[in-house]
Amino acid sequence: MMSLKTQINFKLNGQPVTVTVPVTMNTLTMLRDELDLTGTKYACGEGECGACTIRLDGKTINSCLMYAVDCDGREVVTIEGLKSGETLHPLQQAFVDHGAIQCGFCIPGMIMQADYLVENNPDLDRARIRRGLEGNICRCTGYTKVLDAITSVVESRE
Amino acid sequence: MSEITNYLSPCSLDDAVRALADGDVTVLCGGTDLMPQMEAGQREYASTLMNIRRIEGLAEITLTGDTCRIGALTTVSEILTSQLLDEVAPVLVAAADQFASDQLRNAASIGGNICNASPAGDMIIPLLLLNAVVELASWQDGAIQTRLISLHEFFKAPGKTVRQNNELFAAVLFDKPPPGFVAHFCKPGPRPALEIATVSIGIGGVLEDGVFSDVRAAMGAVAPTPIRARRVETTLEGLPLNADNIRAASVSAGEDATPIDDVRASSWYRDHLVRVLTKEVLNDVLENTN
Amino acid sequence: MNKKTIATHIEKTTLIGQRVRKPDAADKSTGKTRYINDLVLPQMLYGKILHAGRPHAQIVSIDTTAAEQLPGVHGVLTGKDVAGLKFGFVRDNVALKETVRCEHDEVAAVAAETEEIASQALGLIKVEYKDLPGVFSPEDGRREDAPLIRGDFPGNKSLHFAFEHGDLTAAEAESDIIVDNVFKVHHVTHCCMGTSCAIADFDNNGKLTIYSQTQYPYNYKMDLAPALGMHPGDIRVIQPPVGGAFGSKLDVYPYEPIAALLAKKTGRPVKVLYTREEEFKSAPTRQPAVIHMRTGCKKDGTLTFRSADVLLDNGAYTSWGPTIPVVMMRTVSGHYRVPVIAYNAQAIYTNNPYAGSFRGYGNVQTTFATAQQIDMLAEQLDMDPIEFRLMNAQKPGERTPQQAFLRECALDKCLTTAADATDFVTRQKEYGLLRNSDSRYKKGIGIASSIHNAGGAKIHKSDGCGTMLKVDDYARATLITGASEIGQGIDTVISLIVAEELGIPVEHVTLMNNDSDLAPWDVGVHASRTTFIAGEGARRAAVKARQQILNAASTFAEISADELDLRDGFVVRDKEGSIVIKLEKLLRQMHFQPEPELVMVTDYYEPNSEPEGADHISNMSAAYSHAVHIAEITVDTWTGEIKVDKITSAQDVGRVISRAGLEGQTEGGIAIGLGYALTEDMQLEDGMLKNPCFRDYKVITAPEMPELDLHFIEDGCAEGPYGAKGAAELPTIVIAPAIANAFYNATGVRILSTPLSPEKVVRALILAQQADVSSSDSMATAAVS
Ligand SMILES: Cc1cc2nc3c(=O)[nH]c(=O)nc-3n(C[C@H](O)[C@H](O)[C@H](O)COP(=O)(O)OP(=O)(O)OC[C@H]3O[C@@H](n4cnc5c(N)ncnc54)[C@H](O)[C@@H]3O)c2cc1C
Ligand code: FES
Ligand code: FES
Repeated sequence: MMSLKTQINFKLNGQPVTVTVPVTMNTLTMLRDELDLTGTKYACGEGECGACTIRLDGKTINSCLMYAVDCDGREVVTIEGLKSGETLHPLQQAFVDHGAIQCGFCIPGMIMQADYLVENNPDLDRARIRRGLEGNICRCTGYTKVLDAITSVVESRE
Repeated sequence: MSEITNYLSPCSLDDAVRALADGDVTVLCGGTDLMPQMEAGQREYASTLMNIRRIEGLAEITLTGDTCRIGALTTVSEILTSQLLDEVAPVLVAAADQFASDQLRNAASIGGNICNASPAGDMIIPLLLLNAVVELASWQDGAIQTRLISLHEFFKAPGKTVRQNNELFAAVLFDKPPPGFVAHFCKPGPRPALEIATVSIGIGGVLEDGVFSDVRAAMGAVAPTPIRARRVETTLEGLPLNADNIRAASVSAGEDATPIDDVRASSWYRDHLVRVLTKEVLNDVLENTN
Repeated sequence: MNKKTIATHIEKTTLIGQRVRKPDAADKSTGKTRYINDLVLPQMLYGKILHAGRPHAQIVSIDTTAAEQLPGVHGVLTGKDVAGLKFGFVRDNVALKETVRCEHDEVAAVAAETEEIASQALGLIKVEYKDLPGVFSPEDGRREDAPLIRGDFPGNKSLHFAFEHGDLTAAEAESDIIVDNVFKVHHVTHCCMGTSCAIADFDNNGKLTIYSQTQYPYNYKMDLAPALGMHPGDIRVIQPPVGGAFGSKLDVYPYEPIAALLAKKTGRPVKVLYTREEEFKSAPTRQPAVIHMRTGCKKDGTLTFRSADVLLDNGAYTSWGPTIPVVMMRTVSGHYRVPVIAYNAQAIYTNNPYAGSFRGYGNVQTTFATAQQIDMLAEQLDMDPIEFRLMNAQKPGERTPQQAFLRECALDKCLTTAADATDFVTRQKEYGLLRNSDSRYKKGIGIASSIHNAGGAKIHKSDGCGTMLKVDDYARATLITGASEIGQGIDTVISLIVAEELGIPVEHVTLMNNDSDLAPWDVGVHASRTTFIAGEGARRAAVKARQQILNAASTFAEISADELDLRDGFVVRDKEGSIVIKLEKLLRQMHFQPEPELVMVTDYYEPNSEPEGADHISNMSAAYSHAVHIAEITVDTWTGEIKVDKITSAQDVGRVISRAGLEGQTEGGIAIGLGYALTEDMQLEDGMLKNPCFRDYKVITAPEMPELDLHFIEDGCAEGPYGAKGAAELPTIVIAPAIANAFYNATGVRILSTPLSPEKVVRALILAQQADVSSSDSMATAAVS
């Protein structure tokens, strides 16, 4: 079906972008296929796994469920936008250091959600981190090292 | 396959309801129900796709006098973190806490949850306990008209409501419950949240001197629409909340429920859950008032 | 930080057992890694498959005209295009079908400019089916009047395996107690986060390059070739990073030849990528089975015999699933000392999805039975449960009836370690006493153990692995191995080993293992073999390179080679640690001398084991290991939910090499095992999958993960690298029966089928209550299995 297209403008990882997208396209497809940002992953397309997690105006959402047109005028941050220059983001570094990454397919979404949790919860303990990750599936790690990594970042913040 | 010929993203309620009046429109809010339903081919787009998320003034939670109003665009996250709701309707906040995941809560709107009319909609059960009413807005005779309809009359069937095509769901309203009102919500499942309810239950009332009154009960995923559990209410109304009456209420709950078999649970198990969770919720009510 | 001061002495340290960063982790953390799912080749087309969506039917006609005419479509294929191109373990599969035998059967395939066009084209293909009566359980399939699923397999009989040892009748006669149960284990699937994908591309000489998620590149060529009518030598396999595998990529599945056939037809690269729904419906499963097991023992606790009659649901085609009896048999006959064995396993074709290999490979299923029966016997004997197990536990140097040689065996240590860590015996008694209280929540503790091959599994003629290693003029090492990386961390293990031997930083080792034209032979990532075999191969190659370097250093410095060592990028005197020469400098000197010398070595490591063989009497692995899990749970008797509070694991790993990697494998393995035990369930109704999504197929998420207490027993292993044993499957294997035993401890009710879902638990509890026979297991369980 040739879907109607519309032009949208938004901030992507700090840079303004203009894209013309079909109005029914989801944000994940736009990021991956139109903007070549393949760090954000498809693993279910139904909001169940969190592999496609991005930040939209500061909040995490599943990009597979969000219409791309809804990005218009907003600020989008993807996993590619987390690193500043040469250095890994503290969460990225912590995931690497704690062995929290196996196949890594879930990791971009996991880190985006972890970053949101750390930023928005002044008193983040392990139990809250667990709950905070309830929308992110990892089939490899059993989450333990993921929790260790996030906890270490929370602790170093204090 | 129908084709979308028009995309709108109105900034005012006025523009939105006018567009609706022109006919054939698919309303898009958070998209968390719409997107998967479209992808699965369960629904078809109308010729206009209207994104309502830019409408100003529709994402507010306010208390005017005794009436609390939650705008259609309010997200479940906003409900979860609302100080105001935590004071007036903690049961709604508790239900928000059991809703999907952060990512979903950040996108999902209360309007979408209600208009989607799933028998398992998690925001609906506590709102039924709060005797909520729905505000529908439409464009008639050159002006916005609103009508109010009680939430428990809003649902017709799974995915079907009494909302007309030219109406926008604008807000849900409820009166501050009477002093001493306590209510609990419960949704089981091996996962705390990312779980479509196999059943859900909410019961509330005023417990004074051991007697339970103004009893309100609602259940999800046990009938084609979310329901008020009237038998539970009558069983408990005006009586002491003791073990015997709790047991009786649990039996009534089984009578109120008419669950079906699906992949998530058999009707037998749903029936069982409704009974035991009624006990659980009532025990919670007891504990939290003592 | 820039360290300018150079030490003159370097102390000896070891990397073995350290926490080392996974080489690809940084790129994976930033989204930079290009998974196969992300790859796009110039001119690439998108392939889509039309699945039958019915379990059993004859295809009467297919009309692809409209699809072919759709603009943007470059090729359409159907069954007639692949006639005769049979593939699979017993050559019972073809890429595109003319008869439908299961829901996901591939009926037609399209290659088009975009995925949308391809999907649209599928919608234009008209297929007329004649539905046939189906078979949906092995019990039904073996009935005489059952519909025949394939003419060439009478009685719907697929593979059969048997093993007998000793006199069963006599053993039964001398048994004081016999437990006799039917266990039923269900369909689950891998749920790799990266869905299945293949990209195929032909060059103009007819050579195929296939980008694949395979975890066994060499046999993969051999298995793929017949599906294409090609010679395996004309296939090059490239393995980009993948989003998990867990055994699911240990065979060729139809989408792979389909990608290749579409590429051939269109002359352009073609990518086939599954949606999650397709993944659920079409990816292989773990093998479901019905296990009738009997175990006997004497009053003093000595085990007398074990018999197992296993009926496997083969599904519609034969992949690795129906071969799991080979591993099941090893656990039935080993682990605890069982002198007499009668084992029989028959797989029956059905119209259900078919099973491949899945982490644990048969042992997950058998251990669910063996570990519960051991638990039952301990109770009926009224013996200390740990004493009973210790008394029957096999000891180092023993052989099993199948002649598995337990050169090292730490089962007793695993048992005592886990039991001590949890105060098992006391807690089990305490909880058992509380079981009849009327409190809603009941606590239980359960123990289970198993054995698994930990030194490869010689199911092919060779279980070896080839390795090539070069050390260049900059003292950077490149190791080329046949062993694949699927997220499990062999990259870390190998880099660590090479760095250990050559005294260079781990980051200075590059691993090349993703191109079959480059890397030498290996039989694949399976059977917990890769650290053991590819790791040992890497070690042997590195030792050779090291020796060459030390010899050169010896000549240069006029010091005997065995007085030298390699540390931190330097050649040093072994005793004092004083620096002799910088390694890079030495390597350049070796290169630029009258008789130039480069460091390039090869190795082929064949583990010391014997082929499995038709009689199943062989020492098929070069090592075996054991694991014990103790599960502590809380049962909500109202809702039937089981919350796992804690898992304590004690596992014989020989020696830890990459510590974080081993822990990660253990934790992840436990999570998959927990899903199997509790929440994951492919709900099949007449062969059709009712829950092809994560919403209804529930894998374990972070909030459900229990506290873990991991104990690694490091008693070494004569054959493995640095004493290590394979370790990745046992964590998945032992968990379900530990939970089932804990459930019994908590409630007095046995559940003999997986998963222990809330609904099943409630039913079992109610049934037990109604019959008031909470002690009579079979009553309660008959209804729930
Ligand atoms: C993975 C996953 C988990 C979920 N978990 C839960 C859960 O735990 N509990 C639960 O209750 N739900 C759950 N949902 C369902 C869904 O997220 C909610 O129903 C959500 O509130 C819908 O809001 P939305 O803004 O995304 O609606 P949309 O998808 O934008 O809209 C939903 C429907 O309502 C209509 N609509 C929306 N707003 C209006 C309006 N103002 N006026 C008229 N019509 C309107 C739309 O046209 C559409 O038909 C889940 C969904 C997913 C994908
Ligand atoms: S791909 Fe979006 S949640 Fe899974
Ligand atoms: S690391 Fe593989 S899915 Fe999380």
